[in-house]
Amino acid sequence: MSRSTALGLGATLVVALVIVLLSFTLSDYNLSTGATVGVFFIAILSLNIVTGYTGQISIGQGAFMAFGGYTTAILTHNHGWNDLATLPIAALVGFAAGLVVGLPALRLHGVYLALTTFAVALAVPQLAKNYSGFTGGTEGLALPTHSGAWLYRTAWVIAGIMFVLSWLLLRGRTGRAFRAVRDSEIAAASSGVALPIYKTLAFGLSAAMAAVAGSVYVLVINFVNPDVFGLSLSLYILIGVVVGGLGSLWGVIVGAAFVELLPIALTDSHISSSQSVPVIFGVVVIVVMAVVPLGAADLLRRLLQFGSSSRESVKSPLGTEAR
Amino acid sequence: MTRRMKGALAVLVALVGTAVLVSAALAGSTATPGVTKTTITIGGTFPLTGPAALYGVIPKAENAYFQYVNAHGGVNGRKIVFKVYDDQYNPANTVPLTKKLVEQDKVFAVYGSLGTAPTLATRDYLNHKGVPQVLVATGDSYWGAQYKKYPWTIGFQPDYPGESRVYGQFIAAKVPQAKIGILMQDDAYGQNYYDGLIQGLGDAKSKIVDVEKYDATQTDVSQQVVKLKAAGANVFALFALPTQTIDALVVATKVGWKPVTFINNVSASPLFMGLAVKSGANVDGDISATYLYDVINNPNTAIAKQYKSILSTYDKGADPNDANNVYGVASAWTLVQALRQAGSSPTRSGLMKELTTFNKVVNPFLYPGVTLQTTPVERYPIDQQILEHWQNGAFHPFGHIFSHAR
Repeated sequence: MSRSTALGLGATLVVALVIVLLSFTLSDYNLSTGATVGVFFIAILSLNIVTGYTGQISIGQGAFMAFGGYTTAILTHNHGWNDLATLPIAALVGFAAGLVVGLPALRLHGVYLALTTFAVALAVPQLAKNYSGFTGGTEGLALPTHSGAWLYRTAWVIAGIMFVLSWLLLRGRTGRAFRAVRDSEIAAASSGVALPIYKTLAFGLSAAMAAVAGSVYVLVINFVNPDVFGLSLSLYILIGVVVGGLGSLWGVIVGAAFVELLPIALTDSHISSSQSVPVIFGVVVIVVMAVVPLGAADLLRRLLQFGSSSRESVKSPLGTEAR
Repeated sequence: MTRRMKGALAVLVALVGTAVLVSAALAGSTATPGVTKTTITIGGTFPLTGPAALYGVIPKAENAYFQYVNAHGGVNGRKIVFKVYDDQYNPANTVPLTKKLVEQDKVFAVYGSLGTAPTLATRDYLNHKGVPQVLVATGDSYWGAQYKKYPWTIGFQPDYPGESRVYGQFIAAKVPQAKIGILMQDDAYGQNYYDGLIQGLGDAKSKIVDVEKYDATQTDVSQQVVKLKAAGANVFALFALPTQTIDALVVATKVGWKPVTFINNVSASPLFMGLAVKSGANVDGDISATYLYDVINNPNTAIAKQYKSILSTYDKGADPNDANNVYGVASAWTLVQALRQAGSSPTRSGLMKELTTFNKVVNPFLYPGVTLQTTPVERYPIDQQILEHWQNGAFHPFGHIFSHAR
């Protein structure tokens, strides 16, 4: 086992232990907040697959969450399904949606692809509004309520499964192909990586995972309407992946905690100060980007490797190179 | 037993005794959450930012009234502490913030939270916990209609079907040659208004010549307006959201159609009417309905002066002519009244009892003659409205007060 693998494994175990311990100590309210951190963990993980590892920028992750969230809501609310049983269906629906959205990725690159996914993020909530007989429209659909403890455990067990699945996927042949596509499409194609297959596959898998995040999200807020999956959700996920670190699996936890907990920490019940939250949040994001452009994972990596000579070059899909 | 052991035992007994006393004291103070000897803590969620931030003035006006009450002795000696969170009109924010109000801030009641979807998203939770969800700022009929399943939830303003029943009653009585054309949003919101209008019209519902619908995401309704004109309608019932309402008014003027127009209260604020006028619409004589005190036409009455002084003292910069501010003060007055009636040791169920047994209570910030009237099975606090028409850049009430006549 190499040193970095051992470090990664150790860090993962420590984080997992902390998550388990917190489930015994937090109040019910804080547990439901913790469950939302779990939701963002899965969502940011899903974006990391397509953007961090495969280099295809997506601003539409909230739309894929909407597919999952609505699948769960409609099956439980209209058809009386058990809510957890809807998760595999949600993943399948998300996978299909991801494949469809992945098709433009075969022709578009960089900012053009980003704009396409941006359009998806805008369009999907509108679709939900339009077909109100099916989705409940703006009045939405209500789901069964659960205790904070149940939500916390459910969210983090699923997050753990998703984490392991991602790790298995990304460490092997598929992960190598994804990274090859990210680093140079021409080089990847010359080495026998089938670009169309791996690009659409990355979108499909990422969307399936995002859909699972969306399903857990509607369980946590026990309600769904188009506003839940608005543009800001997609942007929060993007911020989370950038703050946590592109192309790093365990920076994800930092990104998830950042996007969920910082606004809560800033929220104030005083009537005149509430409006400053989005501004402070934005400023913090800008400062983080200026100081640690490759995210928390890179910061930690640099701290851990301080003094060591084996520095790995990290390439972000935006083309900036850091050492 | 040695002296040392005795000493240790004494310390132990003292500790246990103190713990019992402390826990008893804590239990005593948490008997009714949010109520202490000197304060009552309430809270709500509002869109202070985001697409519905227009309504963000409401909690400020409500807070101004609470500050005014606090400065004048409070409610049965207790000062009101009002916690306000910004949910940006997004249920994904409303749910955690409402849990925060209940579980961290330990509010006595969730008061005035704004919006249909945010209220729907939180009412299961609040009713499950037995936390009052009172005077919610939304005009859907759910709050009054579904009280058996959700006994802790109650609205404030007239509901949508009640409002359009008034239009129906007026058309049936006063417009004998009516040919009614309806433009409605194709969802539960539009349907609510449509159903109320049909009830209000009674036999006159045969005078409907055309019903046009639009999808919630559609902003251009010119086709529908042209069809209504072509159908020969001379009465135009407009049950839409502000964007589509403005479009419909502008298109009607452009195609030279000037029917007797009814605009639902949601879309008939002076702001939207002004935008329609700026875009070329002729809205003179267009009709809507109100239930709030008419500050614009009665600026010098004692009530108008009191209202303005509350705003200028505790909500600096607020526009007294904005009906949202009148709404906020009228709503806050209603809560304070119920809390006063609930007595010197208020409980959550006591608050619900007072809110559901208003017997023609005169709220000075409502239109004179409109009273608060509820029973445990009739949970629509405001069930009366007066029509108003637009003239010289403002709405002016006319005629008599209509009852919703459920």
